[in-house]
Amino acid sequence: MIFTAVLLAVFGLGLVGWFAARARARLLYTGRGSMHSMPGYHGWHMALWIVAPALLAWGVWSAIMPGLVESAVLADPAAAQLPPDAMNRAAILADANAIASNPDAVAFNPLSNALAEPMRAAQQRFGLIGSLLVVIAALAGGGYGFTKLRAGFPARTQVERAVLGLLLTASLMAILTTFGIVASLVFEAGLFFRDVSPIAFLTGTHWAPGNAAGADLDENFGAVPLFWGTIYIGAVIAMLVAIPLGLMSAIYLTQYASGRIRKILKPILEILAGIPTVVYGYFAALTVAPIIRDFAGSMGMANPSTESALAAGLVMGVMIIPFVSSMADDALAAVPRAMSDGSLALGATKSETIKKVLLPAALPGIVAGVMLAISRAIGETMIVVMAAGAAARLSVNPFDSMTTVTYQIVQLLTGDQEFNSPKTLSAFALGLVLFIVTLILNIIALRVVKRFREAYD
Amino acid sequence: MTDAGWQSPEFARRLAKRHAAERRFKWLGFSAIALSLAFLALLLFIMLRNGLGGIDWQFLSGSDSTSANVAGVWGATKGSLLTMLVTLLLSFPMGVLAAVYLEEFAPKNRRWVEWVEVSINNLAAVPSIIFGLLGLAVFINTLGFPRSSPLVGGLTLALMTMPVIVISGRNAIKAVPPSIRDAALAIGASKVQTVFHHVLPLALPGILTGTIIGMARALGETAPLLMIGMRAFVATPPGGITDPSSVLPMQIFLWSDEIDKAFVQNTSAAIIVLLVFLLAMNGLAIYLRNKFEVRW
Repeated sequence: MIFTAVLLAVFGLGLVGWFAARARARLLYTGRGSMHSMPGYHGWHMALWIVAPALLAWGVWSAIMPGLVESAVLADPAAAQLPPDAMNRAAILADANAIASNPDAVAFNPLSNALAEPMRAAQQRFGLIGSLLVVIAALAGGGYGFTKLRAGFPARTQVERAVLGLLLTASLMAILTTFGIVASLVFEAGLFFRDVSPIAFLTGTHWAPGNAAGADLDENFGAVPLFWGTIYIGAVIAMLVAIPLGLMSAIYLTQYASGRIRKILKPILEILAGIPTVVYGYFAALTVAPIIRDFAGSMGMANPSTESALAAGLVMGVMIIPFVSSMADDALAAVPRAMSDGSLALGATKSETIKKVLLPAALPGIVAGVMLAISRAIGETMIVVMAAGAAARLSVNPFDSMTTVTYQIVQLLTGDQEFNSPKTLSAFALGLVLFIVTLILNIIALRVVKRFREAYD
Repeated sequence: MTDAGWQSPEFARRLAKRHAAERRFKWLGFSAIALSLAFLALLLFIMLRNGLGGIDWQFLSGSDSTSANVAGVWGATKGSLLTMLVTLLLSFPMGVLAAVYLEEFAPKNRRWVEWVEVSINNLAAVPSIIFGLLGLAVFINTLGFPRSSPLVGGLTLALMTMPVIVISGRNAIKAVPPSIRDAALAIGASKVQTVFHHVLPLALPGILTGTIIGMARALGETAPLLMIGMRAFVATPPGGITDPSSVLPMQIFLWSDEIDKAFVQNTSAAIIVLLVFLLAMNGLAIYLRNKFEVRW
């Protein structure tokens, strides 16, 4: 691409400018003995003035160039045969674009082939104009920077101001990402809620997006079975595993284990948190699920399914153990030493102290940790995709196959892609619900932890 | 009380009961941790038993295929490396610069600074699949980047990794004692010089440790990549960051869906390869921490 070459040239120019300005500033320096800024800063000032305007020009031009190319192609006589509706038009133009950049590409419409040549010509023409503009911007910026190069010029202050701007931009990225998440979810979910009423979505109990069409949309997008499956797997089964095991592990590690044993066991326990979820999912599907199916069979259930809520929840619980354990660890450590010392001094045994003094005192912290763990479990995707199943049903039988919000998002968005159908848009509505719920859980938990810490400080 | 109550048989019985409860409780704690570790051992054992036989040169150098005995992981590994490269190049500078700003330059008690901090803490806890939805809506549908390419995958994972780097970076910068800053400022360095010449180099080992841990998490991530379509069957290793490609965890997921039993060995072998990568990265992080960590 011509643009890559131009960008490289701009950075080359910047480098040249850096050396040139530094050398000139050094000349100014000799015999004078004092300047506002070190020569290196004059170099940076120069380089910034070359690169920044050029990058700006490049960004602006890349944003407007596709439009210019398209209007040039539409002006071509061959474009008169384009079909009037926007959808087909865009498809043919996209095809022509693919052929223009890669002659071997296959066209679905002969018109694309005819348009490829004008497309390529237009791209070349506007690419050349754009490159010229970028180079001109670089040179103009460099020229301006060069006129500033004087002994008393505060180059360092200027460069530092630019650095601060860069730092500020980087930290605003976080807000931008949050905003991007909220905006894209709300926008796409808004499109979905134009077709399906939010009340039907949040309170309906029948989920069958596959056969939703026409007027009965509301009846097939009831998400309650999904919410139930998510809560049952993530907040009930997984927590029944993770809370006792995680809490007892934390108690053993902090209260009973010697320093050496703790140093060995804790990192090994942390490995559980570092294993990718796809590995857990595979383990659940390959090993845990068949065991549970056989167990359900031996309990007298008629054709138990391989995919069960229990298999997914169990493995998910194990995955969360180190998280619960380290949260409980923090909560226990925050309880003042004097409280447990007082209890021990009165003659209580260690376990009595833990049960009657430490745990009640650490309870807010532990509850907050459990909330964070739940928010993690309900957002977990791969384990449920591989082990929980697709059947949307309201059931309390852990051996049943159940589906979750995350499973359905994956299902809806990885099938055939017709982007604006209610089926795919419903995934964003589910995503929005998931985002809001995890956000609320996180905010409450962080508040509780903060207040809890303050109470004992 | 003439008779010492604490010598009566009734008291002794009660004491014995309490001590038994004490032992029971301790044993309960130990068995909780033993059970967790036994699960880990079982998981590793089953993967090793199923997969170790499948690792040979053919497997390590081949790409995906419909037949299990010629399929390999190099294509997916290369995809993972390219994706991680994009992620690292974006999230590391962004994360470090944001951490520096928030820790050293941000005005205190301003509403918008608080918003930045809150959103970073929340982003670190947002489910990964949500980032996948963001990537799908923004990078693919709005900006029109090529589907299932390491470029889009890397961008999406970078947004996910950045908060981790910011948080660990802030902790590392906070750990540098103020005397270092005071010394630099006292001999005439500007605030920017102080930070970039003195504070940042001293905080770098801590930042790197956090970065490696964040990258390890991104390497094992599957769900967001599923959203942006990185589940295509790719029989040749990707040539660049805009080619369609797969990544290691996605390869594991795709193979685990195969009905052919022969893919069980491939899946487990790919899991071993992925775990070896993760182990190496975490080992490096621990090594860095132990070697360069300074206790002030």
